[in-house]
Amino acid sequence: MRLLRLLITIAIVILPSLGLQAHAQDSSVSSEYLIKAGFIYNFANLVQWPVNAFAQPDSPIVIGILGEDPFGTVLDRVLAGKRVNGRIFLVKRLKSIVDLKECQILFVSSSEIAHSTEAIHLVKGMPILTIGEIPGFAKRGGIINLVLEDNKVHFEVNVEAAKEADLTISSRLLALARIVQDPIADGKKTQ
Amino acid sequence: MLTIHHPKAASAHHTVRALLVVGLVLFFVASPLAQNLPDVTAMSVEDLMNVQVTSVSKRTQKLADAAAAIFVITQEDIRRSGATSIPEALRMVPGLQVARIDENKWAISSRGFNGRFANKLLVLIDGRSVYTPLFSGVYWNIQDVMLEDVDRIEVIRGPGATLWGANAVNGVINIITKPAKSTQSALATAGGGTETRGFGSVRYGGRLNTGSYYRAYAKYFNVGPSIDPSTGRRADDNWDALRGGFRTDWTPAGADSLTVQGDIHRSGYGETLTVPTLNAPYSSTFPNKGSISGGNLLGRWNHAFANSSTSLQMYYDRTNITENSLFTDHQDIFDIDFQHTFHAGESQEIVWGLGYRSSRDGNDSSFAVSLQPNHLTLNQFSAFAQDEISLFDKRLRITLGSKFEHNGFTGFEVQPNARLLWTITRNQTVWTAVSRAARTPALTEEGLRLNSAVVPPGTPQNPTPFPALISVFGSHQFKSEDLLAYEAGYRVQVNSNFSADIAVFYNHYTHLRTAEPGAPFLEVNPAPVHIVAPFVAGNKMSGGTYGSELFADWRVLPKWRLLSSYSYLQMDIRKDPSSLDPTADDPGLVSPRHQFYVRSSIDLPRHFEHDFDVRYTDRLPGLNIPSYYSLDTHLGWRPRTGLELSVGSQNLLDKRHLEFVPDFITTSPTEVKRTFYGSVTWRFE
Repeated sequence: MRLLRLLITIAIVILPSLGLQAHAQDSSVSSEYLIKAGFIYNFANLVQWPVNAFAQPDSPIVIGILGEDPFGTVLDRVLAGKRVNGRIFLVKRLKSIVDLKECQILFVSSSEIAHSTEAIHLVKGMPILTIGEIPGFAKRGGIINLVLEDNKVHFEVNVEAAKEADLTISSRLLALARIVQDPIADGKKTQ
Repeated sequence: MLTIHHPKAASAHHTVRALLVVGLVLFFVASPLAQNLPDVTAMSVEDLMNVQVTSVSKRTQKLADAAAAIFVITQEDIRRSGATSIPEALRMVPGLQVARIDENKWAISSRGFNGRFANKLLVLIDGRSVYTPLFSGVYWNIQDVMLEDVDRIEVIRGPGATLWGANAVNGVINIITKPAKSTQSALATAGGGTETRGFGSVRYGGRLNTGSYYRAYAKYFNVGPSIDPSTGRRADDNWDALRGGFRTDWTPAGADSLTVQGDIHRSGYGETLTVPTLNAPYSSTFPNKGSISGGNLLGRWNHAFANSSTSLQMYYDRTNITENSLFTDHQDIFDIDFQHTFHAGESQEIVWGLGYRSSRDGNDSSFAVSLQPNHLTLNQFSAFAQDEISLFDKRLRITLGSKFEHNGFTGFEVQPNARLLWTITRNQTVWTAVSRAARTPALTEEGLRLNSAVVPPGTPQNPTPFPALISVFGSHQFKSEDLLAYEAGYRVQVNSNFSADIAVFYNHYTHLRTAEPGAPFLEVNPAPVHIVAPFVAGNKMSGGTYGSELFADWRVLPKWRLLSSYSYLQMDIRKDPSSLDPTADDPGLVSPRHQFYVRSSIDLPRHFEHDFDVRYTDRLPGLNIPSYYSLDTHLGWRPRTGLELSVGSQNLLDKRHLEFVPDFITTSPTEVKRTFYGSVTWRFE
């Protein structure tokens, strides 16, 4: 009886893991931040910065992470060796708000929920693609907000804010986005 | 670490050792694969939007921020554990004691003092406190939600009194459902098994217009009877429940959001009840059936200003306990809370709030249980303020705050706390806290009369010619139970695959409840004439408890995750020298000293997933319950998008075992059986 129980238990544990090894690459479920890293790469491809956003034609695209870094090493690994229009990527963990201005992409982590409006204000009008993962981020003037719905990543785009930052977002990306407006623009429309 | 007290446990011990060996072998064989990341840059935005993601971030994010022992159960955790009820989901939380008494009764507590009427844990569902003023605890068989719609369950061990108020003494459980916007599909589940004979639920979500979303749900289940260990036969503990509800979220303009939600429920339960009688054979045991119904309606309005935010929440909650022969009760609760958060300067975040709560109770008694007065309305006012100060580039956060509460029984209660969180590096934090919390008297501790047993006349214990009725009485002199808690913790995120968390605590309690004997008296009504041996609620117990809880979350491979936790609890609670309480009541003997939990979750090819969890609960000497291991497994399959099939089993290691024994009200405890179940979940747009 005891032996039987042990065998059943081992079977339960081992059988699934055999399959695990055979198909370790088959992917239907992935970690949230791996997918978000994929989004960031795609955004870099589908957003056009004005010429003055970069110091030189081959300057890297600097991604600044504001707040606690949820990516770990994932973002660096995903972007290693990748190029967009000949530019490589550089991921920076921002220590102070001053560094904000040196990025082309600013990722505002969900730890900054209380200070996201502040960050949006600071980079307003500058050619910086702000990406957040905070409810209402795009509504409050952020450009792109990543939203989890039914365990899938969706995104909102504030077109007005992108225009103000002098960024051109490809229509292909806009077609997949949920377009949001900030409350002031909203108010204008309804009046 | 483990002492084996029981032959059954010994074989389970081997099993666990085997599991560990198998796990280790598997790790070494498979670990080279851990380095490969799929190339997400080759995927289009459309592809990325279609990937199901697992999110561990909520847990870690929440964890990194809190200067408290917090554990977050995610939706993924609930789904993968195969839990079909809130208590089952709570079994994975370190530091909680979760035990089933019978199919419809649970004993759940945090850091000790467990019992069916455990009274030191506050439970909130979407901001609505669900503790009953009857005994300051939770009727677990009334609380339920659509589990698929749960966003997360946050469990805070230790006092949460400053923000949540009285009775958040040893912990707070915060059940948070998803916003209606995140449940914009139709969902149907159905299933059954050897314990829950049948269950089914439907939910539909939609959009009303721009910025407003809704969902509605209904669910039903029917749980069959378990086994009565004293007879070895089928018990009377059936349970069935029907529940429905809705939620609407409205965001008219960016700065405002409005939520209105509500539920109604009705359930029927059974139990084997023993009550004393004044005539031979002086007790009567019979199957008792009862029914519970109720509903609630909640509204919440949030408004965000440039640098601050406010929240106003109101709810009404009604619970009717009817159609049983022990005690019927109607409870109406109205609650309103206002909260304001703002920043003062660069480094301070201040939260303050006001609250009012009214609870109206009406009850009908039986010979065994009566509560005076039959009708009573209690008013409770509260205010709190908390300041979070960030220093040294936000690496050090100091939180100071206090709750001030006025209740009808003990007047003012002041519950302050001080917390400190230090971010050592980006991946490591330490925290410490000192808090005071009070557990205010419940209605029963003021006005209860519980006739618990009769000692027959002419026996050695009762040589008089009259039957002696042992009765427990509430008392208007009963005071709040007090706690002074010292806590500390350390959290580390070693890399994106491994995080760990340890918390230690020392709790010092005073004025804990005792049952002090009073002078016996003669009572003629009801006939026959009998002697009453009264025991009156007193506050003559105190002492310390200490312990620690460890938790580790390890993603061994991208598709294999191991969660494990260990909890240690030592309770040194003693009656004061002035106490005459003769009962052998020692809370340390009904709380497990050691508990551990391991869960393995594996994602398999062809959209299969497999999980198992092993739990160990130490013996409860006060209840004569030996230690036990339990093993649950779950196999899920998603043959196509939106369709999920599950089969699973619970308590595979033994045919059945007892987990707990009820206190105060003598109902027959029943055994937890080995069970099998299957279910289908279908989501469609």
